Amino acid sequence: MSPAPTGANDTDDVRAAANGDRAAFQRLYRLHVGRIHGAVFRLAGNDHARAEDLTQDAFIRAWQKLPGFRHESAFGTWLYRLAVNLALMDIRARGADPVSTRNEEELPESGETPFCAAERDELERCIGLLPPRARAVVVLHDIEGWRHEEIAGELGMAVGTSKAQLHRARLLLRKLLGDRS
Amino acid sequence: MNEFEWRRQLRDLRQPLAPTRDLWDSIVASLDAAQRTDDPAIPTLVQPGNPWHRLMTAGLAASLLLAAGALVWHQVRTPAAPTFASSTQARWKPADPRLAGAAIELDAARMELQLAIQQAPHSAALQRLLDRTELQQKQLRQLANRAG
Repeated sequence: MSPAPTGANDTDDVRAAANGDRAAFQRLYRLHVGRIHGAVFRLAGNDHARAEDLTQDAFIRAWQKLPGFRHESAFGTWLYRLAVNLALMDIRARGADPVSTRNEEELPESGETPFCAAERDELERCIGLLPPRARAVVVLHDIEGWRHEEIAGELGMAVGTSKAQLHRARLLLRKLLGDRS
Repeated sequence: MNEFEWRRQLRDLRQPLAPTRDLWDSIVASLDAAQRTDDPAIPTLVQPGNPWHRLMTAGLAASLLLAAGALVWHQVRTPAAPTFASSTQARWKPADPRLAGAAIELDAARMELQLAIQQAPHSAALQRLLDRTELQQKQLRQLANRAG
């Protein structure tokens, strides 16, 4: 999995925040909020309100857990993982909905759709239209650079299922882009 | 467009995105609320070094022991009530195999959320998710009842 690279040396602020320094934590918030919110926003299907709730929650939980942070990884990576886990928990809660309007059956079963160029905004919008689990796999694998093993572990599915979801989700994404072009 | 370009285009989406509003004030408010709850509700009545300190501490300890003893006695005398975890809602599994999977997953999600709420008891987002999950469990029960 690719972490959240910031290139910034935030070690002092992390240590200060772990000791209760709110100003240091605010600096960490300013440094990382864009990266965290970007990932969560795409996982939440471009839902601004939900993404902001999840981002806020991630920082609250980070503050609470900071005293236990062992510096084994970069703070940005740790925070990113915490935020993505929250977003995936949200998807699990929603994806398990037996009466969901957007279900996995909407994905195409077979056939190839040609790759097509798309504007960035259009691509973002079509990703937001994917069913939640399929969207999670596309976002984590194709955008965030996770491996199938990591995705399968986090989403509680087999590695093969993750690969199949990605294949079908890409087909649907290309179909959605094709329909709009 | 080949697959390589397609993947590059997707990877390029990985950009920071600022929220539409500054979340910092809300975060601080939540942290303050959590801190207030964590603070001891009972103010310090005695100061260390005060001659009454030991006496009052001993009295408080005795009261706590008495209360704990009474609680244990009450539990021994009263038949055990079903806990939330052992309630029929938590253990319920529909006979229809098509619904059983959803019931298991919803139950797992609910337990996961309850654990998360224990870590962050003031999280409105988690509470909303838990409420929604419980509502979905209720809907699943209704669906199972209708299906017979």
